[in-house]
Amino acid sequence: MTLLTILLMTCITFTTRYLFLHPSLPIKLSPQISSLLSFSAPAVLTAIWVPIILVQENKLVTSITDPYLVAATIAIFVSIITKSVYWTVGTGVLAFTVVRYVI
Amino acid sequence: MMVRVTIKGFVDMLPLNLAVIPWGILCGSLAIQRDFSVLEALLMPLLVFAGAAQLVATELIASNASLATVLFTVFIISSRHFLYGLALRDKLKKLPLPKRLSIAFVLTDELFALSAGKKSLRGKLRITYGLAAGISFYLGWLIWNIIGIVAGSYLPDLTSLGLDFAIAATFIALVIPTITTVPVLVTVIVASILSVVFKLWHWQLDLVAAAIVAMVCGYLCLQVQTKFAVIDKRQGSIS
Repeated sequence: MTLLTILLMTCITFTTRYLFLHPSLPIKLSPQISSLLSFSAPAVLTAIWVPIILVQENKLVTSITDPYLVAATIAIFVSIITKSVYWTVGTGVLAFTVVRYVI
Repeated sequence: MMVRVTIKGFVDMLPLNLAVIPWGILCGSLAIQRDFSVLEALLMPLLVFAGAAQLVATELIASNASLATVLFTVFIISSRHFLYGLALRDKLKKLPLPKRLSIAFVLTDELFALSAGKKSLRGKLRITYGLAAGISFYLGWLIWNIIGIVAGSYLPDLTSLGLDFAIAATFIALVIPTITTVPVLVTVIVASILSVVFKLWHWQLDLVAAAIVAMVCGYLCLQVQTKFAVIDKRQGSIS
């Protein structure tokens, strides 16, 4: 049963990824839609990471000493300064660990 | 040249591979801890190849949720990929079928983030580069999952350790440097606010809804900006 579920899940994740790449799909993207879609990366990625930081156990984080909030703020500054994925993730995770488990 | 591009794609993806180590180990070990067989636990990263969808489905299957619930939830979580496909459609639709299928298979948040630039995935070299990056991430994800599967029963329950912070940090690292224009800034601000509000409202399509509204706001902002630029130009030429 689990095997069947996994196979069906595979169909779903693959279809969501492939569908709009299929050439004979009758869709023509106008310049307006293309321009709109150029905002999809910042929009989707932001909508993934912000709730991880700000929503915990179905509540908005309000404490300014919350490890997620502190470490994310540090990561944002490191990202602005270095623009490096390594530095941002490294410093962020280190800050998170320190605030959560040491302080 | 092809070899160099392939290696570069592989290497450029490494920081993102490293960032999902805890998350991958969590996915693998959770499957074992929730009584999946080794084969089933292996097929998850091998075939389904998704982070959040894998994790949520594992919990749902373990709690005996109905097949329809599992599949619907996976569909909702995966629906953001429709946007990626649309955004990349014009660049990828003319590729030969095997290449198109391969890129689609490895089209994750991470690969999309890496290839969201105007030039990326245009031309043979950049396609090879993107494919190499995608495969690099696939192999990384598979290895971290396998480590989780092997270590599975020896590890404590990792779900409460805050491992998701590494994911957030990765996306911060991918998004923040791309905020170079006002429309993108508007997109990011709107997406931040709405994703949190929708999440608190328990909307199932919270992520996609927030992203679409944010995209529209960014687009409108760009239209206004372009309009003013035109007016400025005209006034400039009059005076």
